[in-house]
Amino acid sequence: MTAPIIEVERLTKSYGGKRGIVDVSLEVGEGEVFGFLGPNGAGKTTTIRILMALLRADAGRARIAGLDCWEKSIDVKRLIGYVPGEPSLDPNLTGGQILEYFANLRGGVDQSYLKKLVDRFDLDTSRKFRQYSTGNKRKVVLIQAFMHRPRVLVLDEPTSGLDPLNQQEFDAMVREARDEGHTVFFSSHVLSEVEKTCSRIGIIREGRLVRVGGIHELAEIKRYEITITFAQPVPAESFASLEGVTSAEPLNNGAGVRLAVQGPADAVIKAAARYPVVSLTSVEPSLEDTFLRFYEADGHSSKEVAGVV
Amino acid sequence: MWFKSVFLKSLRDYRVAILGWGIGMGLVIVSPMASVSELVKTPEARAALLSLAASFSWNADAVKADTIGGYATFKIGIFIFLMAVWPILAGSRMLRGEEDRASLDVLLSAPQGRVRVALEKLAATWAALFAMAVLIGILAYLGGVVFKADFTLVDALLFGLNLALICAVFGAVALFISQFTHERGPAAGWTAGLLLIFIVLDMVHRVIPNTDWISRLSPIYYYNLSKPLIVGYGANLGAMLFLLALALILSGAAILLFARRDVGDTVTLPRMMRLPSRPPAPRALPVGDWSLRSVYARSLGVIAMPTFWWALLVAGWAGWIVVVVKQIEAKLGALFSGSPVLQDLLKNLSGGNSDFNASFLGAMFGILPIFLMAFAVTQVNRWASDESDGRLDLVLSAPRSRARVLLGRFAALSTAAVVIGLAALVATLVASSVVGVSLNTANVVAATLTLVPMGLLVAAIGFLAAGWLRTAADTGLVSFLLAAWFFISFVGPELKLPEATLRLSAFYYYGTPLLHGVQLANLAVLVAVGAAALVLGTLRFARKDIAV
Repeated sequence: MTAPIIEVERLTKSYGGKRGIVDVSLEVGEGEVFGFLGPNGAGKTTTIRILMALLRADAGRARIAGLDCWEKSIDVKRLIGYVPGEPSLDPNLTGGQILEYFANLRGGVDQSYLKKLVDRFDLDTSRKFRQYSTGNKRKVVLIQAFMHRPRVLVLDEPTSGLDPLNQQEFDAMVREARDEGHTVFFSSHVLSEVEKTCSRIGIIREGRLVRVGGIHELAEIKRYEITITFAQPVPAESFASLEGVTSAEPLNNGAGVRLAVQGPADAVIKAAARYPVVSLTSVEPSLEDTFLRFYEADGHSSKEVAGVV
Repeated sequence: MWFKSVFLKSLRDYRVAILGWGIGMGLVIVSPMASVSELVKTPEARAALLSLAASFSWNADAVKADTIGGYATFKIGIFIFLMAVWPILAGSRMLRGEEDRASLDVLLSAPQGRVRVALEKLAATWAALFAMAVLIGILAYLGGVVFKADFTLVDALLFGLNLALICAVFGAVALFISQFTHERGPAAGWTAGLLLIFIVLDMVHRVIPNTDWISRLSPIYYYNLSKPLIVGYGANLGAMLFLLALALILSGAAILLFARRDVGDTVTLPRMMRLPSRPPAPRALPVGDWSLRSVYARSLGVIAMPTFWWALLVAGWAGWIVVVVKQIEAKLGALFSGSPVLQDLLKNLSGGNSDFNASFLGAMFGILPIFLMAFAVTQVNRWASDESDGRLDLVLSAPRSRARVLLGRFAALSTAAVVIGLAALVATLVASSVVGVSLNTANVVAATLTLVPMGLLVAAIGFLAAGWLRTAADTGLVSFLLAAWFFISFVGPELKLPEATLRLSAFYYYGTPLLHGVQLANLAVLVAVGAAALVLGTLRFARKDIAV
């Protein structure tokens, strides 16, 4: 990781008696694309709104480019492009008027670049905000976040409502921002988009950060599935006790076995070699499956809440 | 229980309105009953009252205006515009408002036909109206008992029913128009405009002889054919049935149109009936609109249209009372001298002046700040709802301090308040010179321009309270404050409230500038309290969690 541009230390926020986030700490390096993952209500938006100084943390601190997000909020916001989770804008302004208004509030927006962004997203700027579809509303907000080429992009579920073509355009814009050395911090619960664009991710659950790591490091904890077909029946239970095997299911009247494996498959391969193997397939689950496993049931998190991988 | 059907859920949504509007309107009916006995204390006063009522026939038919039922019926004649506010809002919100919020999509995804959903919502609105009618009827009856009126409970309930029927008509008009508008606001606005036209049409036959046929074009004419509180006059069943039929036809047509159009879109008019389409907004950037330059300019752009209408209202009121005082001074003067209660009331309103013309003008100008303060309440509501709806999030993500955003909004509101004050000033000066009422120019300037700090005081308190309260509570608080101040200043002296209590009202500090000029010390108090509230509100806003 490069020198951190976003630093979050033991950030805690509650809403009256209700939990917001608890002791969240993470760092995002300059030029990094960081995916912030978690199910609904996990605390993603709370964390982002604290970074944007829309909420004040009860404890802990958040800094961007060394500046305290609350105390130096104006300086911080000069560096940031922001997409809120639920964009709400004046319904009677056209897309063009909204972009012009925010360009005026920010200052220093290159009009030719702004027009390029409008063309890229194929946005009709003459329509009123209330007349836009969900996807077009999202485009307006995305353009206003990118239009001043911010050093840091803070995006709360930015692709929600975008069609696949525009999602691709967004991915490309994120990659371009990264290539230009800008930092992108975005929340999502769609792992496929995170997989495509992020170099590191953090997973938040019930207000607590349960994982932070590189996308490849996290891949190591993936559980994958091995299916072996044998020429004769074999005892499936002999595979169940192998290192890394989390479940073993007999197939074909005992002449096969389906294994869920975490970590190296060495023990499985060696055990299988004791029998005549007809075929062996290994299926690597998507991060989606990995992610779901983190949230599949309460009380199963002790293994995962181990901190940074 | 309340979530078993669309009807029950909609009725539940109306529960506060039923109580608030029903009791509020009931009290509006009862309030004039209190003063009748004093107004007819002497034969001269009774004759003056009847004469005055006759000269105000444009307002309502003066039938037995010297009885409690007759006076109450006469007095609330023009107040039909007040009564119709709720049904207009409810009618425009019933379907179009839900479409605005996209909540109708979810509702219509349930396995129920559109017509049924719309009918259940309509039934809930009508049930709410009739519940209000019962409340109004009962309160009117109780008022009659207290002040010894001769109408019965049935008469009072018929009065409430008649009111509910005319309200149902205007609710149906709003519902019908909302099928042709993209938002509920224009539907409510067009219906309010029609209401004013219908009020004027109804007035015509009372002012100009042989023009009944014109007034028959107005539903209000048929509402006024029934006067159940006047014993011997009673209700006109035919007129009430006509109003019911009108409400049914308009509502039925609206629901049929709703069933056939796209949800979220409007009824497609035949080509010949369509308004010429506006040229499309320019796609080229920058748009170059002046109102997009800053938070202040944007806020000013947003409130420009409301400012125009409020300025028209305030200026219209100021000009109208100057004209009226000239026209009715002789008749009102007799009533004034014959009625100790009216003398006291006008003295309270006008700061103790005993000359009739001056008292009347002072009293009417004393009411003027209420308009600007009500305008401020609407802007407080807008500010609080912008925050709670998340519309400030992106504005606050720009590199501007929160204080600058709040003060930008407040500065725009201040500009609007000054415009309204200036409009009142110009209207008063023009009206006084046209009708020949001699007014002290310096005092007129004082009376109109000191409206500004009154409005801004309310706004500053509302902005401060928005630091803690949600939209409804914030708006409710400043509305209550306004009502409390009004009560303290205009009824308090009658109740012999102590001076310390009277000083709690902002109206105390406004005084009677039309008669006595600006009291600088009092003005300083207004400005200081307003400034303190604004500073505290800004500090609070700078530190609070947004939209939580």
